[in-house]
Amino acid sequence: MTSTSSAVTADATGAGGAALELEGVTKAFGQFVAVDDLTLTVPSGSFFALLGPSGCGKTTTLRMVAGLEQPTAGTIALGGRDVTGTRAHQRPVNTVFQSYALFPHLTVGENVAFGLKRSKAKDVAARVVDGLDLVELGHLADRKPAQLSGGQQQRVALARALVNRPALLLLDEPLGALDLKLRRQMQLELKRIQTEVGLTFVHVTHDQEEAMTMADTVAVMNHGRIEQLGSPAELYELPRTAFVANFLGQSNLVAGTVTERLTKRGLLGVDVRGTRVLVPAARAVRTDGAVLVGARPEKMRLLVGDQTPGRGENVLGPGTVTDVSFLGVSTQYQVEIPGLGTFGVFAQNLVGGATVTVGTSARLAWAVDFTFGLDGAQARDDGAVDLDDEL
Amino acid sequence: MSITAALGDSVAGVAAEPPRRRARRAHLVLLGPGLIYLVLFFVVPVGALLATSLYVPVPGGDVGEYQPAFHWQNYVDALAQFWPALLRSFWFAFLATVAALVIGYPMAYVIAVRARGRKLLQGLLLVLVVAPFFTSFILRTIAWKQILADDAFVVTAMHFLHLLPADARLTATPFAVVSGLTYNFLPFMVLPIFAALERLDPRLLEAGADLYASPVTTFRTVTWPLSMPGVVAGTLLVFIPAAGDYVNASLLGNNTNTTMIGQVIDARFFKVLDYPTAASLSVVLMVAILVLVGAYVRRSGTEDLL
Amino acid sequence: MSPHRRPAPADPRVRALVARASHRGGMSRRSFLVAALGTAGAGALLAACGTGSPSSAASSAEDLSDSDKIVRWANWTQYLDQDEEGTSYPSLQAFEEQSGLKATYAEDIDDNDAFFGKVSGQLKNGQDIGYDIVTLTDWMAARMIRLGYTQALDKSRMPNADNILPGLANVDFDPARTHSLTWQSGFAGLAWDKERVPGGLHTLSDLWAPELAGRVEVLSEMRDTMGLIMLDQGVDPAGSWSDSDFYAALEVLKEKIDSGHIRQVRGNAYTQDLASGDAIAVIGWSGDITSLNYEADDKFEFAIPEAGGTLWSDNMMVPIGSPYLSNAEDLMNYYYDPEVAAQVAAWVNYITPVQGAQEAMMAIDPELAENPMIFPTDEILSKVSVFRTLSPDEEERYNGEFLTVIGA
Repeated sequence: MTSTSSAVTADATGAGGAALELEGVTKAFGQFVAVDDLTLTVPSGSFFALLGPSGCGKTTTLRMVAGLEQPTAGTIALGGRDVTGTRAHQRPVNTVFQSYALFPHLTVGENVAFGLKRSKAKDVAARVVDGLDLVELGHLADRKPAQLSGGQQQRVALARALVNRPALLLLDEPLGALDLKLRRQMQLELKRIQTEVGLTFVHVTHDQEEAMTMADTVAVMNHGRIEQLGSPAELYELPRTAFVANFLGQSNLVAGTVTERLTKRGLLGVDVRGTRVLVPAARAVRTDGAVLVGARPEKMRLLVGDQTPGRGENVLGPGTVTDVSFLGVSTQYQVEIPGLGTFGVFAQNLVGGATVTVGTSARLAWAVDFTFGLDGAQARDDGAVDLDDEL
Repeated sequence: MSITAALGDSVAGVAAEPPRRRARRAHLVLLGPGLIYLVLFFVVPVGALLATSLYVPVPGGDVGEYQPAFHWQNYVDALAQFWPALLRSFWFAFLATVAALVIGYPMAYVIAVRARGRKLLQGLLLVLVVAPFFTSFILRTIAWKQILADDAFVVTAMHFLHLLPADARLTATPFAVVSGLTYNFLPFMVLPIFAALERLDPRLLEAGADLYASPVTTFRTVTWPLSMPGVVAGTLLVFIPAAGDYVNASLLGNNTNTTMIGQVIDARFFKVLDYPTAASLSVVLMVAILVLVGAYVRRSGTEDLL
Repeated sequence: MSPHRRPAPADPRVRALVARASHRGGMSRRSFLVAALGTAGAGALLAACGTGSPSSAASSAEDLSDSDKIVRWANWTQYLDQDEEGTSYPSLQAFEEQSGLKATYAEDIDDNDAFFGKVSGQLKNGQDIGYDIVTLTDWMAARMIRLGYTQALDKSRMPNADNILPGLANVDFDPARTHSLTWQSGFAGLAWDKERVPGGLHTLSDLWAPELAGRVEVLSEMRDTMGLIMLDQGVDPAGSWSDSDFYAALEVLKEKIDSGHIRQVRGNAYTQDLASGDAIAVIGWSGDITSLNYEADDKFEFAIPEAGGTLWSDNMMVPIGSPYLSNAEDLMNYYYDPEVAAQVAAWVNYITPVQGAQEAMMAIDPELAENPMIFPTDEILSKVSVFRTLSPDEEERYNGEFLTVIGA
């Protein structure tokens, strides 16, 4: 206990928190493997998000880092020190729980002071005041948690964890219980605080927008494994699996076969039901056989009537516009191409209002440079968000 | 905001008054049976008890014949004679309550926290806790008398192991009385604590661990305070009936240093037919329990229990 | 040993419980309730019990015996002959066949005081308490008759009543037995575990021997315990004695209790303590020891102390509100038939009050006919006294002092 507290202090004085390294971590519950041979490094001072649908193993990973679960195999290291096998209270890690888990019998101030008292910190009172000021709740220190709103409770939970200046702060879907507006506000707030205190944050969420807004690095998890890891822009612009392509934003994916390699231009020629589509070889997971050709909806545009594609654009169709949704900043079209399926197109409302009506015949065009190629063995709709599954 | 509030008020004021009056009548109808029951079986008897406690014997009357009066001296006489039994009752009840807490809390903890999620095991353990209630109170106490008897295995084994001096015994001692009280009222301690611990969110324990509290510290700072309502309810449910109990004292006690106030009230009422003394002792017992319980509940900060 | 006795349950603990439950002086359900319900419960009972001056208006109820052929009898447990299964009462069945009356027998009495407490309110108002015969001990019978809670018996309808033993025919609380008839009698004396007290007990001083300290119990029935101590001090409890005699005896009791020599003062539960070994020497009742020995291989012995013992009786009476006086008289008359009395005595092992029963017993069980605890000899009878009737003032005072000494 004593050695742990000194560790906390040491880490707290060093800037940026500690790096987290998982090496071959596996967690099995009986026959079910929740986390499968996970290897991962979270650099010190980064805001790292574990993103995935429920049941993907992200929360189990988090609990293993916190010490609330022990891995079946593998090691966990914090700031270069192996903490595998130590218990939760011995780790310089704090968690903001999904349910907040505020102590209902203690006041807000006592909740925030809890960890400081346990680690025998000095200046508990002053640090509690600072911690509450950081989340702008200084005036509610004497209330009981039950007297606070959901957003306020969430901020108390954050202050309770942050005030300990942990080497690593874990956030377990901390915004899940808040309404949309509050969630947006808290996302920015969290980001601000992280920048301010400069700790290492590991944030678990199933909300891809939340992950992209806040994190420097996002790891997309599925079935206990990491599908892809990178900055939000990287993941979005160049998904490497159908799951990532669909789970992170939306994608138009269509199956095809590589028929030619234009090595000089660094392109692959893909046959999509008789139409030739070009994919940059560097943006393709494989360069032969069956592939999925993909492009983001906002990269596509509609060609109607005698409009022609520009240079360096792929074209599919014609198809029929089946739906037009006006979203203010943009208009979303659904285009059904016989034999290929339905495609989404987002068009910025540069001229005001929709320019194409339902039933219109149209072709789709997009820049070859924005095209990506995935393994054709993957399902086209893997990771597509089903609204019913949303929490 | 003020406009909508005012609107809301006026709307409610116009439209909701008849339903409100109806609701009040409905409340009365719902409360009625309980009120009648309480008046008939609590208020009236307590009134009669108070009146009886001030009666005086009919001059020249037979045994058990009294007439109404305001003879406050009854209280002085009763207390002067029986205060040791009264104090002893509270002392024994206190000891039994502490013993029941020490034994019952871990039981409740294991059933509620350790067996959490294993519904079958939990149910089985709870049935075991309540199982003694399937037998009558008196038979259970008599069984204890048999178990603790001089020739029974407990005492012989303790003699053999030199845990008990050769001439010492267990029955007819204060120890036997307090043990009997503890045993008989133990389920009243276990069940409320179990209920409190079962409501305890296990995520709070994880939060405690996450905030550097060792399991022991987590228990002290999270589990224990959150189980306080159960502890307070359990201690009251044990203390109050134990203080008024006489079955354990008369079956497991002796006649010198185990007499409890319940025995005295029973004897005055049924054997001597001294109704005023029995009544005044009952009133004293009731008031003393009320005062003690009130002070206790106030101190433990769980007034909402009352 | 006696073929007429119901076999005891095999398990000793069950047997002890049965013994505990089946004897008088035990805790009644009613008195248990007072404790269990606490103060409010006691209040309700106090409120239910009438206090105040007795109603002089109470008079015998109209006799409906001719129209309703029933009679209801309240008695102590194990106090009437039972068949082998313990489910029916042969002598009572015979009475029903013979008389054409339907008899309801209830083992509803296990404590004189508790039973009186339960019915005294109704008796005071002259109401039917649901029994046509109640069976209560001398001193309680005295109180019932004194308070006018019993009906006068028509002896002309009860020819067998003349069979009553001469010594019981005239008692101070009911001269000429106009309101009561004895049911059974018994002795209070010394009893001990023959194995552990090989020398036996002959006087009360033997009971106070230092080696018995902590293993002695005495009865919570004041008249028996105090009676034996008074006899030991040369005072006849049947005679005219004074307060100082009583208090001198009470002082002895107090000393023995306070010093721990007396382990506990018990009602009939002392038999259970004898059986469990907690007590090895006691002041007890003759019939209990006889019953106990049936279950414990003659382990115990009973004797009347040299200075004398006490004799008590339970008495049948017709409560004031009973509408079936004649039916009740028929039943009493039936049980005063010597042969019927012998049949009962052979089972209950108490002293039968009926002359001629000993001869009738010869036909049933010659061994029992010789048992002095059922058919006491004149020599034994000369050694026992009946505690004299106390005035209300004495009763209240002595009872209160006695209960204080025994810690209740």
